[in-house]
Amino acid sequence: MTPRRWKRVHNAVLNVLTAVVGLVTVFPILWMVIASLQNNRSLLAGQVSLTNLYWSNFVQLWTHVKFFVYFKNSLIICGTTMVISTSFACLAGYALARFRFKGAETFNYAIIGTQMIPGIMFLLPLYMMFLWIKQTFGLPMVNTYWGMIGVYTAFFTPMSIFIMRGFFAAIPRELEEAALIDGCSQFQAFWRVILPVSIPGLIATAVYVFLTAWDELLFAWVLTTSSSVQTIPVGIRLYVGQYNNRYDLLMAAAVVTTIPVLVTFFATQKWFVSGMTAGSVKG
Amino acid sequence: LKNLATEWRRHRLAYLLVAPTIIFMVLVHLVPMTQGIYMSFLKLNQFTLSLFLKAPFVGLDNFTGVLFDVDNPVRAGLKLAIRNTAIYSVVVSVVVLSTGMGVALLLNREFRGRSFVRTIMLLPWVVPTYVVGILWGFMWQHDNGIMNRILVDWLGLFADRPFWLSGRNVIWAIIIPTVWRFWPFVMVMFLAGLQTIPGELYEAAEIDGANPWLRFRHITIPLLRPIIAIQLLFQIINGVYAYNIVQMMFGNGAGYPGEWGDLMMTLLTRQSFGSWLFGYGAAVSVMLMIVMLGFVWVWYRVFRQELVIK
Repeated sequence: MTPRRWKRVHNAVLNVLTAVVGLVTVFPILWMVIASLQNNRSLLAGQVSLTNLYWSNFVQLWTHVKFFVYFKNSLIICGTTMVISTSFACLAGYALARFRFKGAETFNYAIIGTQMIPGIMFLLPLYMMFLWIKQTFGLPMVNTYWGMIGVYTAFFTPMSIFIMRGFFAAIPRELEEAALIDGCSQFQAFWRVILPVSIPGLIATAVYVFLTAWDELLFAWVLTTSSSVQTIPVGIRLYVGQYNNRYDLLMAAAVVTTIPVLVTFFATQKWFVSGMTAGSVKG
Repeated sequence: LKNLATEWRRHRLAYLLVAPTIIFMVLVHLVPMTQGIYMSFLKLNQFTLSLFLKAPFVGLDNFTGVLFDVDNPVRAGLKLAIRNTAIYSVVVSVVVLSTGMGVALLLNREFRGRSFVRTIMLLPWVVPTYVVGILWGFMWQHDNGIMNRILVDWLGLFADRPFWLSGRNVIWAIIIPTVWRFWPFVMVMFLAGLQTIPGELYEAAEIDGANPWLRFRHITIPLLRPIIAIQLLFQIINGVYAYNIVQMMFGNGAGYPGEWGDLMMTLLTRQSFGSWLFGYGAAVSVMLMIVMLGFVWVWYRVFRQELVIK
């Protein structure tokens, strides 16, 4: 074989391999969507139809469970957490990337350290703290939006700082130096010069927070007991417990919870990938 | 004290910027964690739960009980959970990182629709982990699961339909979905790293007669070491503290994952919030945290050079 021909074959083989990997990767998601649109009996019997679709599964889901409420709760809790966490991370990440202040090193270790704490260890103390706040200050914390938002903000801010710090570190210092020479204060340089070029990093962090908050089950399970504040994972877990073997409905629920994050991701993926990777590549 | 005052004046902005985060971290991490550590020295179970931190102080009894007392209710399950978690986190990390690297190399070529393929491949990472558990719990079903239909009926890889959700197979039934969920993200990080490596490096090496393996080994790997270091750390943490996927896969979120599926987190959650053995649970958590801090220390020693921010 001539080298050129060999190269063509080589490339074709790699393309086929890529296609196979892609198919295997997407298949479970496709199957989830297809299964959600089947009649349960034929689904269990292994007969799948792509023409006779049971959209009623979704209607049933919507009417049987208070799905809309869970959905709304998740949006409120995860959305607010996303905004607060990203803002905190943006501020703290900038401080860590640019200033050599006393305690910065310790703070860096603490950020990684928070990821080492088994969540289950401080779940009970946190619950007790919630009760204590209610007793002492009369402010209810269990079964409230702000209780969950507070906990989630603390949870996801460390990793967000990690992302933002990497992103800021990749921005050349000359940008601020020029602004400082022009008479900006340090904060103005940050606010007017650095923030506008950090949009991809901010979006990446925000999406990251939203996705992980949307995914949290354990703390929501313990800290919320009323369906008026429970999030989707909790609702789903309660729901699937009742509907054993109704795989059509289970898959419909799975599809419905995946769609919001899927949409978020697709809408932002251009910035997400660049924002997420900027820091890690140069950091 | 004077030093502190000058330090404050010099870096006032920095301190103000980190203040909100510090407040939250102290309230939601430091205080409850300290209480959690203290809980591990208390006889805290269903009878003393209402006393919380005023429960009887028993020193190291929880630790010695969990480790050495044959009659301890947590001990037998703990041995299995440690084994499973070790296998799970190591296998998941290794396979996720190598798959991520392999596919990143595949996609680091010029071909039509590359960004589309990359987006498609990142899809599993968007699926919430509790959904991954439900979905694969359905796919692994013995009689009507799609996996047995593909593997046995279509491909003929097994003579009999394996039971994926009981016995030894469970460890694979939890590893495979986890890998499926997490490799795409690692791949995207590697791919971004690969694209920053200048092509001239490879061309020069090729002229010097280096074969593809040598080029990969001596150019790609060293340049990607910072990304490898970070992703390895996160995968291990992810694996050791994994909960959602395994929890949701068995009995629709209410079942016991079995002797080959029970992980540290599913065990601790069951013993703490199911059997109210909070004292024992806290003791195990504290030990787990110490082990993980040891792991991070080793990790830091190995990768220290790569992690310095220039």
